[in-house]
Amino acid sequence: MGKSDLYLGLDVGGTHTDAVLVGEKGIVSHYKAVTDHDNLLLSVRRAIEEITSGVDHKKIKRVNLSTTLSTNAIVENRLENVCVIISAGPGIDPDNFKIGKSFHAIEGSIDHRGAEIAGIDDDAVAKIAGDAARKKIKTFAAVTKFSTRNPDHEDAVAEILGTSADFITLGHKLSGQLGFPRRIVTAYFNSAVWRLYNSFADAIESGLGEMGIQGEVNILKADGGTMPFSLSREVPVESILSGPAASVMGIVALCDITRDSVVLDIGGTTTDIAIFAGGIPLIEKDGISLQEYPTLVRALKSRSIGVGGDSAVRASGKEVTVGPDRKGPALAAGGSQLALIDAMNYRNIVSFMDTRASAEGISVLAKKSGLAPAKLADTAIALAVKRIKYEVDAMLDEIRNRPVYTIHEMLEGREIRPEKVYVMGGPAEAFRGLLADAFGVEVVVPQNYDVANAVGAALAKTTIDIELFADTGRGTMLIPNIGVKKSIQHGYALADAERDARAYLAEHLNGLGVTARADETEIIESSSFNMVEGFYSSGRDIRVKCQIKPGVMARLA
Amino acid sequence: MIKSQKRMGLIFFPAYDWAISPTHPEREERLLYTQDQLREEGIFDIDGLVEFKPDIATEEDVMRTHFCFPDVAAVTTESHMISAGGALKAARIVLDGQVDRSFALVRPPGHHAMKSVHGNRGFCNINNEAIMIDYIRDRYGMKKIAIVDTDCHHGDGTQDIYWNDPDILYISIHQDGRTLYPGSGHVNELGGPNAVGRTINIPLPPETSDEGILFAIDEMVLPILKDFKPELIVNSAGQDNHYTDPITNMNFSAQGYAALNDKLNPHIAVLEGGYSIQGALPYVNLGIILAMAGVDYSCVKEPDYRPGALRQDARITDYIKKLKDVVLGAYFEPPAYQGLPPYGEFMTRKKNIYYDTDGIRETQMESILRCKECSGLFSLETFSTVYSLSLGVEIPIGACPACRKEGGKLIASAKKSGKYSTIQVIDRVKKEYYRV
Repeated sequence: MGKSDLYLGLDVGGTHTDAVLVGEKGIVSHYKAVTDHDNLLLSVRRAIEEITSGVDHKKIKRVNLSTTLSTNAIVENRLENVCVIISAGPGIDPDNFKIGKSFHAIEGSIDHRGAEIAGIDDDAVAKIAGDAARKKIKTFAAVTKFSTRNPDHEDAVAEILGTSADFITLGHKLSGQLGFPRRIVTAYFNSAVWRLYNSFADAIESGLGEMGIQGEVNILKADGGTMPFSLSREVPVESILSGPAASVMGIVALCDITRDSVVLDIGGTTTDIAIFAGGIPLIEKDGISLQEYPTLVRALKSRSIGVGGDSAVRASGKEVTVGPDRKGPALAAGGSQLALIDAMNYRNIVSFMDTRASAEGISVLAKKSGLAPAKLADTAIALAVKRIKYEVDAMLDEIRNRPVYTIHEMLEGREIRPEKVYVMGGPAEAFRGLLADAFGVEVVVPQNYDVANAVGAALAKTTIDIELFADTGRGTMLIPNIGVKKSIQHGYALADAERDARAYLAEHLNGLGVTARADETEIIESSSFNMVEGFYSSGRDIRVKCQIKPGVMARLA
Repeated sequence: MIKSQKRMGLIFFPAYDWAISPTHPEREERLLYTQDQLREEGIFDIDGLVEFKPDIATEEDVMRTHFCFPDVAAVTTESHMISAGGALKAARIVLDGQVDRSFALVRPPGHHAMKSVHGNRGFCNINNEAIMIDYIRDRYGMKKIAIVDTDCHHGDGTQDIYWNDPDILYISIHQDGRTLYPGSGHVNELGGPNAVGRTINIPLPPETSDEGILFAIDEMVLPILKDFKPELIVNSAGQDNHYTDPITNMNFSAQGYAALNDKLNPHIAVLEGGYSIQGALPYVNLGIILAMAGVDYSCVKEPDYRPGALRQDARITDYIKKLKDVVLGAYFEPPAYQGLPPYGEFMTRKKNIYYDTDGIRETQMESILRCKECSGLFSLETFSTVYSLSLGVEIPIGACPACRKEGGKLIASAKKSGKYSTIQVIDRVKKEYYRV
């Protein structure tokens, strides 16, 4: 970060739009407004205008944006009609994966090593293209089974479609990971939001131009990293569900997290949990789910539970419940439903707005249930804390019990033991002492947590992950999602593959205008198997996963 | 999203860092392509299907089942303890009610490991299924359990372990022992005197296809199971009956394997052999998992599957039809042992065992006390090319007071004699397993 450089972070969330300007010495200014759902563009423009007023726009070197545009379009089903063309070969009946109104399973098959078993049915593709043209469908998604091992069939579909497609998502460009059903869903969503996203992107671009802001623009992803604006136009699906990740990265910037930790974002309705191992947030192994659809979109490992400051407190007889729902604001904030924060008000853990309304609500419910008011409030608070603790433990358990595939990992696997709990969100301060008791570790409530999301957006670094697959028997090396395919010699070994993975990753990023230091690329999985046919070695099956992990440009701690 | 009819647990442990030797069929990448196929198919996203991490079996778990010479550590590696632990996990999740069905896709395999273990035979050191079954009987109090072994090789280890146990029904379907390792598993091998008809062998001719194996299931295995009424059915799920397997000669397919599991409906399956790691395992495992979970498997086929080319010869069909009467007779009307010693005396059996993988030769003298009240005190004298004369003594589940007392005397006198390098005791009544 240069001396007078400014980074602008913007999080257009479900409720609020937050923006911050961060300079070398920390947060320069921040801005908060209610998000206008019908006009996200206006929310973005207004936020940028407000926060940059009185600032030399030339100093803004980076504009990082986290937006719910794609997420909302999918959740609200405002999706463009997409023609999905798949080929499955032998396996689970592909009809199970039907998605969208125009779904076509055609002949063609590739096996797990990338060998073609049956050619793609060109005629069927041409016929589908003609049919789509008549129906005025202009966006496509092509996904074939094992395309990450051999993308030829997906490429062939793209070639046949040619100019009849405004846009086509090819499955292998999304991720190197296996998972045919996830690839279909992800490709479909990507194409279905492509046009909407790109018109939004055009407007942002011209808006920034008009304002004279020339810094680089990045889009936040659900894994807590960013992607360059130009790339996001090709893979808009990667922008889904980035909000919670922005908040987590904000905590990384605001606190110096170096140990195993738990991060809690306690809001009005829900609490989001993230886990850190040695200061690094954990990533979901397979990708995030959206609306019950598992996708290939990489995301931070997180869990959202129905406990928040506004969680409804009820009693049926002497049985007290908290949440999981919210029925508007708490009594203290003028609402009509007794909520968790009212119980906290009553016990003087906090003093939030109208404490008298809270006390009245508690005494009414206490009378009805036959519990003493203090007992009622304490039970509700204890329940909420217990639930949070339970869910954190369940998450840690899940991580501890995650399957491993080598004896080494089975015996040497390191267990995560949180040493600190970081809490943000409106009721954070109220929970501090309670959580410290429940977890038995230090609880930190960072300053400025209310803009952690925008700070995280401003300072998040570019992340990327690739999977290299080499088969010396077939003489091929492939990194599907960045379009690398080359011939290799029989002597190609694991060390060559690791070197190639790093080099191609760096080259790809350079092409996108991102400079990554060599020590930022990290090999996360690496294996080489001798393949034997008959009793002779027929080559090596080499796999390398390489990434740039989530991190921040600077810490404000 | 696909939803399974039955809640299914999968314990997948491919041991990517373990092999018998670099080009041995039992090597690192054996389950690599299976895992690729399962991931690509999205198996782990099926609603109702959960992947579990294996447990690690303890020394006690092994000593409950086996006599290990000189001790457990000497004949096992971590991989064996994890593989057996995978089977234990498969049992726990079913018996604790977390899932309805489970499949332990673990390696190394186990069904050639016998009661007495000096090393590795038939790629196996310790018997995963037997360790699991004895654990289930100890911890969950289950009594009657059936094992249906569908590996192409006769499960001589499992047969040996339960030879004298009337509560464990062991049925093995395999390629005829006259044509394949280990050479045993003939129809007349029926169990010890107290457990006649509780070991059932169904040897099938080479080149038997789906039709023949499924006939054996429908016409022989299922009627026997119906009569035996086990509380639990375990499948020793070998996958080497496949038409592409490099070390066997059968013509079974992925569709056949899936249909077999559909019909058999085992509570727990434990992987055994199967060495066509590219052409068969990815599809066979996919078929078995879908069938066990109650998900449609009709589109699961090998890329080179041609049903016409695998049609079974009419002579094979006739042969298997004739075999039906012999097999059913073996279970329903087993011939009585002739010339048995009277009750209260020991019956002995001498065995020579060859450990093909490790090149060990073992000689055993087995004794079982003829008893009217229980399955009888069991002991086994053994020596091999790698270990000197030793003794194993087992006081069986439900042993009568006389057999328990006799066992105590046997152990005491064996110890006093000083002629055994190692004495190992399995006391299934007290649930104590120890070396003297």
